[in-house]
Amino acid sequence: MWLGKDLRNPMNSKWKTLLFWGVLLGVFIALYQMNRGGGIRTVPFKAFANSVMTGSVRSVEIDGNRIRFQLDGSSRSETVGVLSEALNDRLSELGIEPQYGAFKDGIGSIIVYVVAAVLLIAALIWFLKKMSGGAGGFNLLELSKSRAKLVGAETKITFADVGGCQEAKELFGDVVDFLKAPERWSKAGVRLPRGILLEGPPGSGKTYLARAVAGETGAQFYVVAASEFVQLFVGVGAARVRDMFETATKNSPAVIFIDEIDAIGRRRGSGLGGSHDEREQTLNQLLVCLDGFQQQPRIVVIAATNRPDILDQALLRPGRFDRRIKMPELTRADRIEILNIHTKDKPLDRDVSLDEVAGWTEGQHGADLESLTNEAALLAVRRARQQSAELAVTRADFRQALRPRESQNRLFDRLDAVLIESTSQLAEPTGRAVVRLHLKDHPPMEGDVLWVDATFIKLRPSGSETAVLVPKAQIQRLEAISGTEAVSRDDVSADKWAGRRTDLA
Amino acid sequence: MNVNDLIERLMMFIPFLLSLTVHEWAHAWTAWKLGDDTAKLLGRLSLNPLVHMDPIGTFLLPLMGVPFGWAKPVPVNPLRFRPGVSLRGGMLLVAAAGPISNALIATGAFLAFKLLTQPQFVGLLPQLGPVPFLLIMLIQVNVVLCVFNLFPIPPLDGSKIIDGVIPDSLRPAWNQYCSLGPILLIGLILLPQLTGFNPIGEAVGFVMRLLFIGG
Repeated sequence: MWLGKDLRNPMNSKWKTLLFWGVLLGVFIALYQMNRGGGIRTVPFKAFANSVMTGSVRSVEIDGNRIRFQLDGSSRSETVGVLSEALNDRLSELGIEPQYGAFKDGIGSIIVYVVAAVLLIAALIWFLKKMSGGAGGFNLLELSKSRAKLVGAETKITFADVGGCQEAKELFGDVVDFLKAPERWSKAGVRLPRGILLEGPPGSGKTYLARAVAGETGAQFYVVAASEFVQLFVGVGAARVRDMFETATKNSPAVIFIDEIDAIGRRRGSGLGGSHDEREQTLNQLLVCLDGFQQQPRIVVIAATNRPDILDQALLRPGRFDRRIKMPELTRADRIEILNIHTKDKPLDRDVSLDEVAGWTEGQHGADLESLTNEAALLAVRRARQQSAELAVTRADFRQALRPRESQNRLFDRLDAVLIESTSQLAEPTGRAVVRLHLKDHPPMEGDVLWVDATFIKLRPSGSETAVLVPKAQIQRLEAISGTEAVSRDDVSADKWAGRRTDLA
Repeated sequence: MNVNDLIERLMMFIPFLLSLTVHEWAHAWTAWKLGDDTAKLLGRLSLNPLVHMDPIGTFLLPLMGVPFGWAKPVPVNPLRFRPGVSLRGGMLLVAAAGPISNALIATGAFLAFKLLTQPQFVGLLPQLGPVPFLLIMLIQVNVVLCVFNLFPIPPLDGSKIIDGVIPDSLRPAWNQYCSLGPILLIGLILLPQLTGFNPIGEAVGFVMRLLFIGG
């Protein structure tokens, strides 16, 4: 902490240093003053013996083996030792009677002891704190705290912001109503699902939908990735699950969203290399917590996964994540709706038809569409800046934004078109098409096409018994040599994808 | 232990802190002058004791009455020395700067003390309050720090000075010796308890006798 300030403001630090030494000097003088008047100095026993022998001692007090004595010069001293015969005799000679009994220290000395003790304890505490806290430090108390983040109200989204997913929204309708008005449901004796499992491919809007549920109900929305439960230390994951549920219970109504639940919800006992005690313990704790809050009914747990097939069966049984919602494939109407939502704040040119854009984006998910609109808007801004034109997202921008996604598909489509064409010209319908492939970093290959799929062509080279898989991305030119006339396409290489090497082959 | 001893220990701690800070600052300052700004960038080129202190070595042990302490070592990167400064020579200078700074403080305090105790100033002494006291403490603390750090035992400064001048033929043996450093240091500190012979005390006593009786 000092270091950072030093770097930022050297002047400040210089004054601080001066002030520090000033205070220490003051302390030094104060201590000196304390020690002067009526102070007791510790001296060697020899000095005491000498004083007795020379007769300069006024009085002697004894407490066990501690001896306090006063000299002629009024200064008081203390030593440790036992009076010998000779000293005793000398004292009686001087007419001094040693006083026996416990020494009484003044109130001032008690204060000094207390202050010293407090200072020491403060130093110890400060040191321990420094050890445990700080950057990169590690704090045992913090370890078991859930890392679940509370998503603030300022980012509130509702079902209206979620395009498509009509079915899913309807399924969630009950849950929303239940969070809003639990009395109605409990009166009818209905036990509502408190665990909902969202299944769907990446980018299909699982998180978005869950947030909309929270926004719709005004419930607190806690987001946590299941992998955050996984920790080096056994028991930490379970402790975090407990902590998360406790926090949510305190702030109910609440929605807990556990992303990528397959990280802990994998079927138990299926791991490689022995048991996964820690993960199973975490999972068990989660199951118990799901069962346990029947009494605090205003919590809904939504979990998301794109691998529902590997989840533990116990997670899916009734009473836990028994309501499974599959994120649907988007229909054209859904895509239009989503595009509408995402272009709401973007100035669209008149030539843009979202209906048409929806047509171009068959099979794409919400995240793809969001990124597409963003990309198009970005292109529009760039164009507007370069040409100082008015800012508007045009149809061309959308097309441009779609290009990288489409181009590889287009390339493969063209390859397939050549194949289909050559097959259709075969003299014998059941025969095999024979093609010559001009590859990027391999001599040309010629052979029978065994089968074709989206990214590979399986070929048995002429004169060879074994077949090879050729990635389509490796093909520069495909030439069909079977059939009635040779069909050749080399416009493939004009595509920018064709010029790019891939790591497929 | 009675109250006055405790107060005296607290008083002793302040010159101790000052001397330790100057010692570390001297290392950092020398390194900086030789071109290595590592310590400066870390904020160690400062007379603020808080940047140099080690909670245990600077506060806990000395205040608890253990006659031993340390501060955080100042990091030095000899590769950053100015061209023309040899790595070994530079390290030697940086290492020597600490004990030299303590020797300078001790000398200064000693001269001031000598001056105050001249016959013509003796009358002034009672009015000066804690000053003579402070001077004596400064002399004591700095002689101890200087002598102790000059012991040729790694990681004390004395060993680094030897490291800078030792001929290459002896280096393998020296390196072997250096690996024993921490054990030797603990041995040195425990020696008075175990055998009654106190090398540090003897050396400090020798210097003090030189100053006050011989000088």
